[in-house]
Amino acid sequence: MSNAPFDELEAELAKFPPAVLDAYREALEEMETSFSSEELVLWGKEGAAIAGQTVRSWESAVEYYRVCPLVARSLAFPSFMQWARCGTYLSQDSPALAVSFFKASPSIVSNLRPQYIPRWAGLGRSLYKGTWKSSTLSGRFFEVSPDLIRNLPFWDVEVFASLVEALSYKSYDVAVECLTLGKDVLPVMGREREAFLAMCRALSDGNWREVKSCFEVAPKALQQIDEGQTSRFLKLGERLTKVGIRDTARFLSDGSQALGQIPQSSQAHILDLCEGLLAVTPEAVSCFLKSLDGVMHRVTINQLDTWFQHGVQLLKDNPESGIAFFKVESNTSESLLETLSSSLELDRVKGVVRLYCRALSGSPIEALSTQELVRRNIGWVDQDTATTDGTKVFLPPVVDHYQNKEQNFSWFKVVATHQVAHLEFGSFDYDFSRTAHLFEEERRYILERERGASQISDDVLVGDLEPDGQMRAYTDIGRFLSLFDDRRLAFDLFTVLEDVRLDYRIKAEYPGIRRAAIDVQAEALAVRPEVEDLPLQEALVELLIRMSLDQFNNLPIPVDFREEATMLAQILVVLRDVAANVEDTGEATLRAYEIISRLENETQPEDQWEPEDMEEPGDFSEEEFQSLLDKLQASQDSSGDAGEGDPYDSPEPVDYRGDFKPEMVQLLTKLQMDQNQQGEGEPLSQEMLEQLLQDSAELELDAEQGDINNSTSTFAQNIMKEAGVPPPNSQPGQGYGPLLHDDDQGGELEAREPKAYVYDEWDFRANDYKPRWCVVKEKSLDEGDPAFYNDALKNYSTLLSHIKRQFELIMPETFRKIYRMVDGEDIDLNAALEAAADIRMKVPPDEKIYWRRNKIERDVSVVFLLDMSASTAEAIDEGRHTVDDRDAPDDPVEYMVWLRRRREGLVRRHYKRIIDLEKESTALLIQALESIGDNYGIYGFSGYGRENVEFYVIKDIEENFTERIKRRIDKITPLHATRMGSAIRHAITKLENQDSPTKIMFLISDGRPQDRGYSREGVEKEYAVHDTHMALLEAKRKDITPFCLTVDKAGHDYLKEMCGDMGYEVLGDIWALPERLPMLYRQLTA
Amino acid sequence: MVEAVESEQNEPQFKEYAIEEFLVRSEPYYRPVGDELELFTAAYNQHIPVLLKGPTGCGKTRFVEYMAWKLGRPMTVVRPMDGGRPAQELREGEVRVPLVTIACHEDLTASDLVGRYLLDSEGTRWIDGPMTRAVKAGAILYLDEVVEARKDTTVLIHPLTDHRRILPVEKTGQIIEADDRFLLCISYNPHYQSALKDLKHSTRQRFISVEFDYPPADIEAEIVQKESGCSGEQAGALAKLGEKVRNLRDHGLAEGASTRLLIYAGRLMTEGIPPRRACQVAIVWTLTDEPELQRSVEEVVSSIFE
Repeated sequence: MSNAPFDELEAELAKFPPAVLDAYREALEEMETSFSSEELVLWGKEGAAIAGQTVRSWESAVEYYRVCPLVARSLAFPSFMQWARCGTYLSQDSPALAVSFFKASPSIVSNLRPQYIPRWAGLGRSLYKGTWKSSTLSGRFFEVSPDLIRNLPFWDVEVFASLVEALSYKSYDVAVECLTLGKDVLPVMGREREAFLAMCRALSDGNWREVKSCFEVAPKALQQIDEGQTSRFLKLGERLTKVGIRDTARFLSDGSQALGQIPQSSQAHILDLCEGLLAVTPEAVSCFLKSLDGVMHRVTINQLDTWFQHGVQLLKDNPESGIAFFKVESNTSESLLETLSSSLELDRVKGVVRLYCRALSGSPIEALSTQELVRRNIGWVDQDTATTDGTKVFLPPVVDHYQNKEQNFSWFKVVATHQVAHLEFGSFDYDFSRTAHLFEEERRYILERERGASQISDDVLVGDLEPDGQMRAYTDIGRFLSLFDDRRLAFDLFTVLEDVRLDYRIKAEYPGIRRAAIDVQAEALAVRPEVEDLPLQEALVELLIRMSLDQFNNLPIPVDFREEATMLAQILVVLRDVAANVEDTGEATLRAYEIISRLENETQPEDQWEPEDMEEPGDFSEEEFQSLLDKLQASQDSSGDAGEGDPYDSPEPVDYRGDFKPEMVQLLTKLQMDQNQQGEGEPLSQEMLEQLLQDSAELELDAEQGDINNSTSTFAQNIMKEAGVPPPNSQPGQGYGPLLHDDDQGGELEAREPKAYVYDEWDFRANDYKPRWCVVKEKSLDEGDPAFYNDALKNYSTLLSHIKRQFELIMPETFRKIYRMVDGEDIDLNAALEAAADIRMKVPPDEKIYWRRNKIERDVSVVFLLDMSASTAEAIDEGRHTVDDRDAPDDPVEYMVWLRRRREGLVRRHYKRIIDLEKESTALLIQALESIGDNYGIYGFSGYGRENVEFYVIKDIEENFTERIKRRIDKITPLHATRMGSAIRHAITKLENQDSPTKIMFLISDGRPQDRGYSREGVEKEYAVHDTHMALLEAKRKDITPFCLTVDKAGHDYLKEMCGDMGYEVLGDIWALPERLPMLYRQLTA
Repeated sequence: MVEAVESEQNEPQFKEYAIEEFLVRSEPYYRPVGDELELFTAAYNQHIPVLLKGPTGCGKTRFVEYMAWKLGRPMTVVRPMDGGRPAQELREGEVRVPLVTIACHEDLTASDLVGRYLLDSEGTRWIDGPMTRAVKAGAILYLDEVVEARKDTTVLIHPLTDHRRILPVEKTGQIIEADDRFLLCISYNPHYQSALKDLKHSTRQRFISVEFDYPPADIEAEIVQKESGCSGEQAGALAKLGEKVRNLRDHGLAEGASTRLLIYAGRLMTEGIPPRRACQVAIVWTLTDEPELQRSVEEVVSSIFE
């Protein structure tokens, strides 16, 4: 090849300062490996072209040659030349610019796609306006380019550059500063970068001075906000800017701080509100955000809405006052907050109330909101009044009667205590055949008199039909109430009298709430209707209510009926006795009814009322009662028809006492009981139930509030569902029927395939095992991606280190000193002394006179059984999970790493299921177990039907922990049902073959055992629980310690039965699972 | 017995007794709930060892103390010291047979129970451990929380608790046949059990098991009143509180409020501490550290006490 072109080139370069030629020669050597000689000539010539542009452009050429070898590594020749030409153009404008361009190039070209290189050069060029300042800016741009290009997508760089350019029109200094800040700030941002840049762009048109401060505050500000919300937040900033609101930087820092103070789950909601506000009055947004923190300290997020809406309304009417409102600088705002903050939401105190009710009643009562009950649609329709259905206490969702929280809470307490009292003091235990304590028995007498002795016999079966086709009564209360012609009057009397009994009892048993109860009663009294305005019957009932609320003085009494009123008071007072039982209430009802029903329901003239004190009405006497009755009867007989007067209307309910529905409660209980002991007597049909509901006084009361006739059948259906009765019209052989049928039939099963095992199952009805009843098929779980495992460890790194520490603590326990060893680290002084004494006594001494630190053999085998039933697919309420942001590192580099990791976590976090937590817990547990070296196996179980119990091996007990196990964990998925018994039995087999002295079986589930023919709702629930209990017992008999952990909050009721005296725990907060599981295990074995 | 100098009022007054020489003269208060007195007496007469099962603070130790008194066996508390002189003068008709109580802990070894050689100026001297003394003296030996003791103690318990009724003393090469009146009694709280610490069946099946639980409310009120000296009304309320709090045993509380705690609360009340405060320090804060549970129990307290 000829050297001529090169010589030519060298000659040309020699015209420039010698540095150019030197640089060329130096580069040439390295370039020869990259390009062909023709290409080299072109390359060299380009340098000469650069040098020849202007007087000082030889400097650019030197730089060009210097970086060429590096650039050539990344670019093919055509792209390379394109790049070089960019430099040439730049040096035409400004050699200094070209120098910067070339300097930055080596690290750019390796990160930027070749076709973008000219655009990049163009970006730098566009900043150059021919002035000295602009050239500095442009040079600075090339300087920071490597960082920008490496960390940002190119289009973001373009947007950023155009922002810098826009700023440069206002001030070069600001532009340079932003450029420098941007280099550090932008890469840290994620999806929000675009929004941030857009916001800054909007700013640069107006308040351009603020751009810099935005860059300064952004990193710290945005870190306070949930990633999902940052873009929205910035967009909000942009829109505020566009409408001309100043102080965007302030908005960024203050707003983000305000948002940072509230839970991440609520941030979206707050932003919703802000956006709403923006549409009304943009100025109010920052006021709102500024006062947000203070407001949120006083009210809940739900209450905030109320406050906010009020503010928006004000803004619309009068922006000035609206803004003052949002600044919390107005009385309206302050007083509204006051009211809101003093109100008490049930959700906040539910836990306490629930435990309180449980403590009082001694049964596992749930405390729920009344909304829940109304939703079930089984006959309760009022949202605002407390009530109970016998197993749950329902309370209104919010109390705001009082000006402060304490008072509102004590109202809750009084109400809850009253409801629990129904259970504690047996309102629902009314038994028709049980005798009253204080009254003489009258029911039988009434019964016979009313119905005629011939019709009533002792064996009137509850549930039987009357000869006329009418349902008699299914429940004891129903039977009692059916004694009366006017069921409603009777029921109202029963209610008020039972409340008298309970309120008195509560005050006697719980003196601590006496004061609060008296207050509540006094308030209830204040809103009672005037007795004088009511017709006679209702007035008398109202009088009883007032007395039940402890008003005995100054009662308006109709003068003509003083005797009757006094008698009623006497009856009522009998119940104010701790010995009174619900049957006494029944007797009192009978007597009060006898009196009131004989009177005409007519309004009494005003002058017929006289205030009177009933404090001591005297003792009730049957004789006086009877003579009064006779008198009434006589006057009734003489006046002819008793039907005159207004129809009787129920009194206003007493708020705090809530809805009292003893008949419904007894009905539900009885239905449930009937279901559980099948075969005994005819179960209630839906038609019968509907009839029953129609007759019920309890539902009649509610009829005023809704169309009851249409709803009785809905109620009936729902009640049936509630009680666990299979849906109506399910004939045997249809619906649920055949499954059971199918399953019960057929006999023993055989294991026909390898790795299939047959187990017996316990039938509690037969009190015996069903032989060879279930086939357990052991399968190895598929292998998936180990990423799940590793991510779990990463996401829980803080927790993991805590757990590891805890487990490592077990180790020193095992490394304790052991005394009296044959040899060891040092002499055991006690033993040595003894030995010395022995020698002197001429007794052969014990040779064990040393101590040593010995690893006490920790020999534990454990099997974990994971519930893989379909229900574990249930999503967990995201709102309860809060990521702890406080551990964000301060160091920017670490912070970036932290942020990136968090972001990766976010991708998975959008929706989590119970099983995901089970899996994560397993991952953590494995780490912990590996650290102490216990022998462990992890299995999952599911299946469908008794011939198909699937038993998945995640890690067999003999298997070592390998990458494959990690892969299998990924594949744990929700499948079918949970036939726990057989799975447990198979796990027992696994453990039995281990010879560790300590064997543990750990069962992790999300609910009660269920499977086809194993746990049919209502009918066979018990079967599954009993079988599981038996399986656990079998484990215990084989010296295996079983432990059940469930995340089912309703778990207490069946777990107690299922586990008996064996260990179990109900995890209230499922998010605690990953933490709790290893700790429980540690506790169990330490 | 060494009686402390009683010359001055301010001098500390205490009394020292040798192991089997401490006599409790007055009747310990014990309120039987079921047939435990009959059972224990029968077991004692028939030489059947007794296992007392039950939650903490329900009266197991007091029961043994009472039985020791009732069976004519004064109480002895283990305190290592020498001396063999008769300590307290016996009253007429009194049988001098002690009850030896040992609170078991995880470092309690067999030789702690049996005895060891000691060096002294003249040479060596054998000293009997508490178990040996109890066996020789025909005492009731009460091992409290026996699961806590080291496993080698079973070597001693087994031969003592079957028909042999012997205590092998390896060191001296002796076997001691237990006095006819000797009885071994152990206690055990099933709630504490950890998988690694459970009584072996071979051990358990050497005892009859008497189950203890907190007494019914009316009896508990009686006990609280008697023990703490508070008013009947307060005692009734405390018993009610105990009952309510125990309802929470399966809902978060590891253990219910023991009778002992109720008595503490009662005693504080007797000293004039307001009832709610007394319950707070004696019961609420003792039972749990969890804020929600504390709050719930406090609400129960504030309902029951004014």
